[in-house]
Amino acid sequence: MTAVIGAPRLSRRIGEGAFLTFCWLATGIAILALAAILWSLLSQGIGGLDLDIFTKSTPAPGSEGGLLNAILGSLMMCIVAMIGAVFIGVLAGTWLSEFARDSQYGKVIRFLNDVLLSAPSILIGLFIYEILVAPLGGFSGLAGSVALALIAAPVITRTTEDVLRLQPIALREASVALGAPVWSTILTVIWKAAQGGMLTGALLAFARISGETAPLLFTALNNQFLSLDMTKPTANLPVVIFNFALSAYDDWRRLAWAGALLIAATVLTVTIVARILAREPRRS
Amino acid sequence: MTAVADRPHAAAAAPPRSAFGAAFDKGFEILCFSAATFLLTALGGIVVSLAIGGWPAFQAFGFGFFTSAEWDPVQEVYGSAGAVAGTLISAGLALLFALPLSFGIAIFLVELCPPILRRPIGTAVELLAGIPSIVYGMWGLFVFAPWFAKHVQMPIMMSAQPGTLWEKITTGVPNGAGILSASIILAIMILPFIAATMRELLLTIPAQVRESAYGLGSTTFEVVRKVSIPYVRTGAIGAVMLGLGRALGETMAVTFIIGNAHGFPTSVFASGSTIASTIANEFAEATGVLHTSSLIALGLVLFIITFVVLALARLLIGRQANL
Amino acid sequence: MNAQLDNPPETAVLELPPEVVKLAIKDLSFFYGQKQALFDVSVSFAANAVTALIGPSGCGKSTLLRVLNRMYSLYPGQRAQGQVLLDGEDMLSPRVDVATLRARVGMVFQKPTPFPMSIFDNVAYGVKLYEKLSKAEMANRVEDSLRRAALWDEVKDKLKESGLSLSGGQQQRLCVARGIAVKPEVLLLDEPASALDPISTARLEETIAELKRDYTIVIVTHNMGQAARLSDHTGFMYLGKLIEFGETEQLFTNPVTTRARDYITGRFG
Repeated sequence: MTAVIGAPRLSRRIGEGAFLTFCWLATGIAILALAAILWSLLSQGIGGLDLDIFTKSTPAPGSEGGLLNAILGSLMMCIVAMIGAVFIGVLAGTWLSEFARDSQYGKVIRFLNDVLLSAPSILIGLFIYEILVAPLGGFSGLAGSVALALIAAPVITRTTEDVLRLQPIALREASVALGAPVWSTILTVIWKAAQGGMLTGALLAFARISGETAPLLFTALNNQFLSLDMTKPTANLPVVIFNFALSAYDDWRRLAWAGALLIAATVLTVTIVARILAREPRRS
Repeated sequence: MTAVADRPHAAAAAPPRSAFGAAFDKGFEILCFSAATFLLTALGGIVVSLAIGGWPAFQAFGFGFFTSAEWDPVQEVYGSAGAVAGTLISAGLALLFALPLSFGIAIFLVELCPPILRRPIGTAVELLAGIPSIVYGMWGLFVFAPWFAKHVQMPIMMSAQPGTLWEKITTGVPNGAGILSASIILAIMILPFIAATMRELLLTIPAQVRESAYGLGSTTFEVVRKVSIPYVRTGAIGAVMLGLGRALGETMAVTFIIGNAHGFPTSVFASGSTIASTIANEFAEATGVLHTSSLIALGLVLFIITFVVLALARLLIGRQANL
Repeated sequence: MNAQLDNPPETAVLELPPEVVKLAIKDLSFFYGQKQALFDVSVSFAANAVTALIGPSGCGKSTLLRVLNRMYSLYPGQRAQGQVLLDGEDMLSPRVDVATLRARVGMVFQKPTPFPMSIFDNVAYGVKLYEKLSKAEMANRVEDSLRRAALWDEVKDKLKESGLSLSGGQQQRLCVARGIAVKPEVLLLDEPASALDPISTARLEETIAELKRDYTIVIVTHNMGQAARLSDHTGFMYLGKLIEFGETEQLFTNPVTTRARDYITGRFG
């Protein structure tokens, strides 16, 4: 740079001004995009959001209907997926934090988990199709759950490891010094101390999978009717939205917008709750 | 020195000594180890299953699968080049838009933002990352595309001089859907991820380093350019690659808005397809063995591309964090 | 016996009569990976007495303490050689269950480490691991432990509140109560007052003096005044070796070795 003392400072000031303006502008664009998306969702979706949505199943074109089967199906699949993902993710995160801090194998797992964390979800759908749907001869809600679990587990693994690592070594030693076995130290002291952060991780994972569509397209598929049988194709909000949004029927599109509003509201609420929870412990 | 000879009270009352469940220690460790290994197995399983599933396609088309852009389910001829090109171009363009914007946002949040706005704006950016892909898709197709067609696409196409390169790369149907629209939606989607990672990196710069630069009379721009960026360079490249990895594999939003045409994209306004959008559109309806297999083979190609990008990203970010 | 005259010995370790010894260390060496941190330490700790370990930072006094309850075995790469005899039984033998050993040899750490649970549960935590007590018995045990740790009067009305809500000094006494609730035979204190203010330190010292009646106590401290006030025996360590061990009064007023004398008179450390 040629900014010597006494040199014209105008160029510096122009550069600075342009730079600052750009930073403000960039942030403005992001917020504008968020506002535009939320506005579209509200204006297009709120009209379709009536009681029928929660009491009736997806209709044939031109007839009355709601999203009950899709909502229930999504809920069931997400809950089953979360049970699996929490189980795997918490244990795997615990292993990385408590048993494998410096091990080579731990480093490999940590690295691959991070890759899995951002791997395209549609590939996880393909994988589950290959190992569960094709061999067992049919689409099913359970296959959808497994795919979702595989997307959520790396998120939970990562957050669990991160929050467990924040717990002081002294806490572990203090428990062990009382003669507590390592496993009960982890279960009753370390997990307890980290429970807020672990809950945040689980909520974020839930938010992530509740909007996932791609992996469900060829695992859970869809189901026009209300069904609680997860061994059969199961209706779910994302796929219904996908099908209805790209259809030629206005009723269906209206339902798709209502569904999109529902999903976005759920995801955003859960995200915000998770963030608030994550901040909580620092205050005390 | 006086030794007290009588038995200490505590020892006399010592309870039987054997912790409940001490034997579970090894078992618990093995359980945790298994869970971690399960994740590794899952990633390995993805590769293996895609390779096996895609094998018939590789066998049928050989190396031509990678070089041909022909994708014809009627003739049962499949080549991945068109979808790969669509994937790379849309993700590349998305990165081009998202990179300066996300960097600006990160700088804004770290250096410029009034403290009172920091949390709401940070949350807003996070929410942008939280919006499900399918919502982006709907918004892109029904809200953004018409606006884009009317206010961007039409004027540009009208003003392009016939015969110029500019005219060539901007031909298309002015319906708002196409490669460029998909890239813009993708850019909005990956922007919060890059911005968030970049912000974390900027926050790792020790306060003294920045403060001493300011202390020398530097402007914000100079501090960012000469201190902050060099300081976080490696990690920042990682953050960008992380965003690229997301853009490459993004499915639903792209499927909605890219127009879904096979073959090489001819212009930025033309319809195209990406690997993910092709799979999403065709997989559930694929009938022939070769069609299914070709889609899975496409999946393997996507996996390899994203794995390389994400692995590089993690390595670069990780190294920065260790600095 | 004026040791300052000619040829002071390199080391001087007092042998205690076997009948008073609760815990004896024989030829103990300790390694952090390749690095040796303790060199052939042999020393005995008397029952119902307080033994202080002093020495400059990094001299191995905390390491020695962490060998006594095998805390080091949590970390791969750390290993000990030699013997630690508790009532004549070698605690370093692989046959000894470490959890059981740690219940017999309690430990209180430098910084207070209350568990993220109620005050009551903090104290009951260790007890539940080893004993099945009725509700009333448990309440008695908790009260008794808190009384011995001189904390009962301050917390008796808020046993259900989180252990984290207490002040630093109270938290440390809670950790002492937690440690003695499992009825250990030996209590190890690793610079227990280093994070406390003077008033809390004084209270903790009173507590330790009280506990001597029932336990064998080993305390690591930076504070020589504290060692002098509290302990019956004192060991001075330097660079992983035990240089001098003897009765506290003798060691502080008339150290035998040059190193101990230099340290105590403030010439280094």
